[in-house]
Amino acid sequence: MENGVGTEKDLNEAGAEALPDGRCGIRIKGWQIESCKRPILGSLALREWEEKLGTSHLPEMVFGDSSLNLLHMESGFKIHFNAFDALKGWKQESLPPVEVPAAAKWKFRSKPVQQIILDYDYTFTTPYCGSEAVELNHEKSNYKDACQNPYWEDCDQRINLASLTSNEPILFYDEVILYEDELADSGISLLTVKVRVMPSSWFLLLRYWLRVDGALMRLRDSRVYCSFSGDDDAQPVLLRESCWKEAKIQSLFAQGLPVDSAAYCDPNLISQRLPVVAQKIQRLKISW
Amino acid sequence: MSDLDRQIEQLKRCEPLKESEVKALCLKAMEILVEESNVQRVDAPVTICGDIHGQFYDMNELFKVGGDCPKTNYLFLGDFVDRGFYSVETFLLLLALKVRYPDRITLIRGNHESRQITQVYGFYDECLRKYGSVNVWRYCTDIFDYLSLSALIENKIFGVHGGLSPNITTLDQIRTIDRKQEVPHDGAMCDLLWSDPEDVVDGWGLSPRGAGFLFGGNVVSSFNHSNNTDYICRAHQLVMEGYKWMFNNQIVTVWSAPNYCYRCGNVAAILELDENLNKQFRVFEAAPQEARGVPSKKPAPDYFL
Repeated sequence: MENGVGTEKDLNEAGAEALPDGRCGIRIKGWQIESCKRPILGSLALREWEEKLGTSHLPEMVFGDSSLNLLHMESGFKIHFNAFDALKGWKQESLPPVEVPAAAKWKFRSKPVQQIILDYDYTFTTPYCGSEAVELNHEKSNYKDACQNPYWEDCDQRINLASLTSNEPILFYDEVILYEDELADSGISLLTVKVRVMPSSWFLLLRYWLRVDGALMRLRDSRVYCSFSGDDDAQPVLLRESCWKEAKIQSLFAQGLPVDSAAYCDPNLISQRLPVVAQKIQRLKISW
Repeated sequence: MSDLDRQIEQLKRCEPLKESEVKALCLKAMEILVEESNVQRVDAPVTICGDIHGQFYDMNELFKVGGDCPKTNYLFLGDFVDRGFYSVETFLLLLALKVRYPDRITLIRGNHESRQITQVYGFYDECLRKYGSVNVWRYCTDIFDYLSLSALIENKIFGVHGGLSPNITTLDQIRTIDRKQEVPHDGAMCDLLWSDPEDVVDGWGLSPRGAGFLFGGNVVSSFNHSNNTDYICRAHQLVMEGYKWMFNNQIVTVWSAPNYCYRCGNVAAILELDENLNKQFRVFEAAPQEARGVPSKKPAPDYFL
């Protein structure tokens, strides 16, 4: 799978084409789906972001030029995923800091004179579940035709997981890291988005994963699904399921799970064990 | 060719040693390291290197840019292991060079040279995978306890992995630490390996994690003043450009793991000091894909749900 794109035969059969010029992505059933992976931001760009976001702390690895973009070409509607919007969400939510286990001991340390205690959310926890935009200047759309104010509404229609477990070929697959922080070797904070495109649908998972060693685990998943209809003029519907899970390590320990961090490196494995703290099912109808 | 020279050649090809050879090497290294001071004296010219994190093929690039040991005199500021794929080969090569050329390479301890941290961030698992037992991990982590805590270059430049400690005003205070132990969770030894400079404080700051000191420009100035040093050279934090000065050139961070974790796309740097302590940063990139014999990091498509 070069560039994450499937075989030419599979693409042809699905009426899809790889994006040209070494770009990473695919056009299929009226959608253009593209990932973009770039190095972490340098010092200069970080300073600009700090100013724009009104903070003096950012994750140590900000993949600020990386993104995943899904554009519905007819309407100009775009759903996209990027670090900047996610960090805006972090700044807004501004959770109180999580103490590491060593903090208990540190409380008894003699304090240096003029000590300041920093109190920003160093875990970069974000409620982000994607960004929407309408590309008015897109070649196939003009202002009149462009889709207006797409919005997410609550619904009870779940993503059809059965159709996602069928053995369709994957025509395009990629995973993009948006930001990552090692919490100064006290765990991990990681925001990534994965996408897979099949002949009948696309599906993506945006995941915020936090492990504060010996203290806390937090998982915030947003899954977005779009089924291609046979009819090109039909209005696409996106389904989004957001699920937030969280547990203190002590409470997992109380259930008989190990307390050391080595056991908690894979969020897929631990996901089942974490209690759900919030959940939302929504849909968005693209009309133009 | 002596056994040691043969082992160095083998490690340079990224082939690990036998368990019995590791044991013997560690014993020899221990005899050398135990004699070193907590503030190990280093002569110029010297080339200072920051975190390596098991990125063996990128360390090869470092040696291409900086020159081979013993021709070049090296100071490594710790964090040899964890995160990368080749912590075993990386650390053993550095240790073998130390035993072979003790006066031409200085290794000081980073916060990853610890039993607890290596069990979470890769070195433990790598030893288990490559040797089928944790013996090699035990030999190596026992050696970690003997690594010096800091270096002093020509009495003018203070080298340390993390940074300063509110418990330390003078170098003599570092000299009195009993370092032959696992890195403690607090106290001076912990701070030297863990703390970070921080722009938003002048004096001392406490990390929002509730543990870990941050130190500002005033702290650095008074340390340099009290100890008659020109500046502090430390590692510990990723810098996209490979090195970063702070507080009016009173402290510099040097980072020597290019394309950190094989995905960050950052460059790395080493700091070359000539006999007059003139500085030159040498910036380098990660080893090309074909030189590293690792499968490409392109993710395999997966039917995730």
